[in-house]
Amino acid sequence: MKKIKYFILVSSLMMAVSCSKDKLELFPYNQIETTQAFNTEADVTLAIDGMYAGLRTSGSYFVNGIWNIVADALADNLIINQTGRLTLKTYGEWRYTGENTYGLFSGGYGIIRRANAVLENIDKFADGAFKNNAKGQALALRALIYFDMVRVYSKTYVNASATDYTMPYVTTTDPTIMPATEPVKGFYDKVIADLEAAKAIIGTANGIYKINKNAVSGLLSRVYLYKGDWANCITASTDALGATPNVPTRANFPGIWTDDASNNGLLFKVRNTRLDGLNAQGVNYYQTVSGERKSEYVVEYNLKQLFTATDIRTSSYIATSPFNGLQYNHVIKYNGRTNGDPAGVVDGKVLRTAEVLLNRAEAYYKNANPTAALADLVLLKSNRYSGYVAETLSGQALLDEIYLQRRLELAFEGDRFWDLKRRNLPVVRDGTKGEVADGSGTRYVFTTLPTTSPLFQLPFPQTEVNFNTNLKQNPGY
Amino acid sequence: MRKLLLGLTVFLFFTGTLLAQKTITGKVTDDKGNPLANVSVTIKGSNSGTVTKADGTYSLSAPASATVLVFSSVDMVPEEVTIGSQTVINPALKGVDKSLTEVVVVGYQTVRRSEVTGSIANVSGKELAQKPIGNFTQLLQGKATGVQVTGQSGRPGAIGYIRVRGTGSINASNEPFILLDGIPISVTSYALLNPNDIEDIVILKDASSQAIYGSRAANGVIIITSKKGKGKAEIRYSFQYGRSEAQDLKNLTLMNSRQKLQYEYEGKFSNPTLNAALATAITAGTFPAGSTLFTLSDAQRQTLWDLVESKGAGDWSDYLLQDGTSMNHEIAVSGATEKLKYYFSVNKGDNDGVLYGSYWNKTGGRLNVEYNALDWFKMGTNIGVTYSKENNVRSLFNTQNSYASLFLFNPYEPVRNANGTYNTTHTGYSPLEGTDNNPSILNRIGTFGTFFGEANFFKHLTLKSQVGINYTTLNQENYLKPGSNLAGILGYNSKTDAGNQDYTFVITNTANWRQTFSDKHSINVLVGQEYTKNRFYSYTLEGRGFPTASVSTLDNAGSAQRATTSRSDWSLVSYFGNITYDFSKKYYLTLSGRRDGSSRFGANKRFANFWAVGATWDIMKENFMNVDFMSALKLRASIGTAGTVPNGLYDNLGTYGLTTKYQDIPTAVPARLPNPDLTWEENQNWDLGLDFGFLKNRIYGSVDYYHRKTNDLIYPKNVSLTTGFASFTSNIGNMENEGYEISLNGDLIRQKDLVVSLYASYSHNDNKITKLYSDNVPQSLSRFVEGEAAYTYFMNRWGGINPADGKNLFYTATGALTETYLASDAVLLKGKAPQVKFFGSFGVNASYKGLDLTTQFYYSGGNYIMNYMYQVGASEGESLTDEQFTDAFNYWKKPGDIAQHANLNDATQRVTFDTDKYLQKGDYVSLRDITIGYTLPANIAEKLKVIKSIRFYVQGTNLWIGTKFKGLPEVGEPNGETGLDPTGAFATPGLYNLYAQPQIRAMTFGVDVRF
Repeated sequence: MKKIKYFILVSSLMMAVSCSKDKLELFPYNQIETTQAFNTEADVTLAIDGMYAGLRTSGSYFVNGIWNIVADALADNLIINQTGRLTLKTYGEWRYTGENTYGLFSGGYGIIRRANAVLENIDKFADGAFKNNAKGQALALRALIYFDMVRVYSKTYVNASATDYTMPYVTTTDPTIMPATEPVKGFYDKVIADLEAAKAIIGTANGIYKINKNAVSGLLSRVYLYKGDWANCITASTDALGATPNVPTRANFPGIWTDDASNNGLLFKVRNTRLDGLNAQGVNYYQTVSGERKSEYVVEYNLKQLFTATDIRTSSYIATSPFNGLQYNHVIKYNGRTNGDPAGVVDGKVLRTAEVLLNRAEAYYKNANPTAALADLVLLKSNRYSGYVAETLSGQALLDEIYLQRRLELAFEGDRFWDLKRRNLPVVRDGTKGEVADGSGTRYVFTTLPTTSPLFQLPFPQTEVNFNTNLKQNPGY
Repeated sequence: MRKLLLGLTVFLFFTGTLLAQKTITGKVTDDKGNPLANVSVTIKGSNSGTVTKADGTYSLSAPASATVLVFSSVDMVPEEVTIGSQTVINPALKGVDKSLTEVVVVGYQTVRRSEVTGSIANVSGKELAQKPIGNFTQLLQGKATGVQVTGQSGRPGAIGYIRVRGTGSINASNEPFILLDGIPISVTSYALLNPNDIEDIVILKDASSQAIYGSRAANGVIIITSKKGKGKAEIRYSFQYGRSEAQDLKNLTLMNSRQKLQYEYEGKFSNPTLNAALATAITAGTFPAGSTLFTLSDAQRQTLWDLVESKGAGDWSDYLLQDGTSMNHEIAVSGATEKLKYYFSVNKGDNDGVLYGSYWNKTGGRLNVEYNALDWFKMGTNIGVTYSKENNVRSLFNTQNSYASLFLFNPYEPVRNANGTYNTTHTGYSPLEGTDNNPSILNRIGTFGTFFGEANFFKHLTLKSQVGINYTTLNQENYLKPGSNLAGILGYNSKTDAGNQDYTFVITNTANWRQTFSDKHSINVLVGQEYTKNRFYSYTLEGRGFPTASVSTLDNAGSAQRATTSRSDWSLVSYFGNITYDFSKKYYLTLSGRRDGSSRFGANKRFANFWAVGATWDIMKENFMNVDFMSALKLRASIGTAGTVPNGLYDNLGTYGLTTKYQDIPTAVPARLPNPDLTWEENQNWDLGLDFGFLKNRIYGSVDYYHRKTNDLIYPKNVSLTTGFASFTSNIGNMENEGYEISLNGDLIRQKDLVVSLYASYSHNDNKITKLYSDNVPQSLSRFVEGEAAYTYFMNRWGGINPADGKNLFYTATGALTETYLASDAVLLKGKAPQVKFFGSFGVNASYKGLDLTTQFYYSGGNYIMNYMYQVGASEGESLTDEQFTDAFNYWKKPGDIAQHANLNDATQRVTFDTDKYLQKGDYVSLRDITIGYTLPANIAEKLKVIKSIRFYVQGTNLWIGTKFKGLPEVGEPNGETGLDPTGAFATPGLYNLYAQPQIRAMTFGVDVRF
């Protein structure tokens, strides 16, 4: 009988220690459910900041991507250094396939999703300045990325026919979509519509690290330039620049690249703090190994000759120094700050006044206003060259000089290849010059990319083409 | 207590003498006449007795009233002898038929081996002990049919990838469920386990044995039982010393200095080392000003090459690799009394890896105690603690990995600069300097404890309650020292302390009723419940700006860079049961079931049920089986289900993450797409097996056939990239594994002093995707396609080198030859997949008097491996500046050449693409293990008084490998830092190689002393 008591005791003890219902409802400690992500204005602010953080997605666009080098490597501004790590060689040699272009595509749409989520939820909130500013930033940011993507993957507005297509302009967060290609021209119109809508409602005091109204105007200036819509380009540029464009002086120019506090000449840049510590922009060009710069790509010989000693950009962009006993022209635009932050850790300069000024100069010229065009050119050059005396240029010479200044100003900043594409020009490289500073060394393997080459349109990622059968691969891949 | 007993015995003996006395002597032998030591000889019905000496003799004084002597010993059938008038009794004891007494732990209980209806494999601890590989999972290689093991890498302490009957899942958790004494343990914990503490390992391969483990059992269950005390008290001391080195690549040779210089010359490349030497020589006037490598005369060039070669490192493996030394000590004390069983061990081992600077040292102990507190109640505990310290040398595809550097550094490059510092070579980095100045030290503490109480009631009922706690901590300290080369490159120095605490708590309650009716019907019913909870906590702290390398703790940092913590948890609630019935030990039937509830699913999919039925027919017990030459014949069959949960803990939830910062302020970022319908992956298995023995089991073996079907495979399901996501965790399809296993053992010679036995096993597995809800799931290098093996390679086909112009040819998707590589020409390479299709082992074991020999050859094949190391080392000029294999010389030189590689001087060909040129068969045979041991004869050992036995042995690991693969054919992870999923596992072992730490070749000497 005593044993039965023990039995009951033991059994009930066992039951007691293991009763464990309701222990299966567990949630993450560092995440919130998507359905709870837009309850308050503070949530919206978090999501907006998340959108900007997305601009730094690894392997894609700004700060942590390849944007600051890929357009130069694809064109004639850079030549690969054989003693480097041979990164991005597939781009420099135009050997890319659908296996190489994943980051620019997935990274782009990753940012776009963040913007779309804000836009889908923002109407829950009361009308007013907060809502307008949030919506404006989401629209502008989405358009910014879409425009960069269309530059990468497709023909430009001017050169595209009605049947030329590009990727889809997705505006939803629906995960089940299999969207089809869209006409290039219609895509441009959507970019412009988003930017114009943003311009009407976005705030003006979001700080340099976020998009403000004048940055939206600057982006419009860029898009209208690619569209060949000169009048609108001029209007947008003037809106961005104001009555007296802030073009940094020669003294202030180097400060742009070391992120000085003035933010002179900048309309929008992506923040990269010491704690973020992202050094990809610098590493894309070189690393300092045993005290010597070891470059991935160096400045192409002929371009180097165009950078004169009186040009402040020469010393800000280029340094000639030895590696393994040979002199090279290294790109030092992304060296880093002067405050002790690690090498290569700098903000991502997305939009500068100098670009907008050059956009406007070109648009003025094309819009039969060479006088205004020349004025913009002189304004820029007087802030770049020492001892510069305002010159008088006209006709093709004026346009050529605008193009040249554009190439010099935006060199190593992710512009050249898209610009050649826009102007329907081939890439023509000097096959007689190598990568060493004196022009010796290993020459280009591939020297010419004719305007008709499908390689001007980079391939969509093969994985996406395989999966989303509505997305047609670009021709030639 | 013991003294008291002794006194009592003496007293009894004394009184016995007073009453009447009779001295009985004799010698106990086995049925072959070999003397048996330590056999207990007792008088039935009394406590008095003795044990036999080493020569089998005994002497006992028995009272006149004594009628029967009982002789008993472990592994022997006890024998009772009526004394009568005899004074000399020489019994011959029979060996126990192990199939009757051997017990195994399966499914929450210990059962007789003969009663198991499922397909299980048993590996005894003896087969795992004293090997120079620190992890038992790698040691399981070739030990059981159907259990395929691939070493992760040659890193000391590295685990093995275990596949039980093929690849059953395609998400990363393809690893079996591993339990130690009934408690699931983490990878970290079993990596820290001392293989010598293992009594045995049981691997559950089929449904009927797996089902009771439910949702975690689908990829097999491995049950480890730790050693418990038995027999007389014994102290064992083991010592082991070994030397190991990296295995050499097969069928490939690195160029020597002269070959590489010649190759570069042919490729019109003048390297920086040559250029510097040339400049010096020009300054010194040896060569005319303006000379280049290509303007020198042949003789001048040879002079220059001689000069460079003389200063070069030559064989870089002398510097980048090291001969690993291992040294292990262990003391174990064990024994058992009627009330108490105890096993206690402490061990310390220092093991070097084969990469420069790598080591793995550990110290640990274990205490295993069982105490019978009452006649109906016993309790016990098993506690183990291990501390390990490891230098985590870099393992990735660049020059920071010293093994990769071996294939990048040119033999003409000097090891050190003129000023004595390490030469950073043309790569700009020296892993020797990196290992010295950027150490990454891992400190782990693994603690494991189980506590149980067991009560018997009403004769047939056993209630058991067990609590298990598995707690491991990791502390990783990475120091990027001030002044180190990498600190110079990055522009900062830093110290990062990171780590985690991984805590698992399990409580299991079972009730077990065993009863036999009318001597024929035995029934065993088990029911139980279990609750498992895991909490994981991790932290990362980083500081920068250290003033000097002599200080290394974060309080010395100039600025804080990072301070983060994170936490996650999961839980599992389970109810299970099992019924075993047998009729006359002839027919066995087992039913089992389990219901699991997991926190990893949404509310509507949270619970799942698993079941199995198994049956065994012992045909030998049938009257009609009157065949002399047959000694065993048993048929087994089973059918049932098991499951798999996703790796992700919250995969059903769509979430925003809050950990990304912008302007150093938190932001919200989409983290995961929701999938409320995510459900359990379910395995449906059936199998048939036959065990047989001939000629008194002189030849025995088994044959098994199995079929595994996995439904609702858990895998990331692709979505369009335009959604901003690439995939979400989902159930994507079904897969099948089908195969058979054969094992054969035979004793060639069975004599008194000499036993020679042979064994061989063969396992075959075919894997096939049978259904995909989302077709053609893209993977790197491979695809999932219905009707083909998972991960079948998908890439471009290489068409050779065009003899006319020396360019690479490729096949288009439709089969035409072209010189243009297009990614869209990639095709599915049917029949070529990374899964091993067949494997097994064979060997001979022999013993002659005190000498013993065991050998194990392991073979494996049918798989393909993407050989990146070959692609990089024979790169057609793309990697001309890096070291190359001599194979690279076989390039096209003139029209008409049939060559392996393209024209070295055609710049358009200096690029390598992923094609089937580098896809090679992974078949190999290796002499995995050979051990020769010598046990000192008992009579000599006895003279050493306190010593019971001594055994010396020499053991060789991987002394020989035969393969056609170019490189090392045992490929686990690509390397330690590439292609890993967030859990740190690599989903597809053997998909490609990429400079993982090489498997070792080792010689070990050891000694075991028992007191």
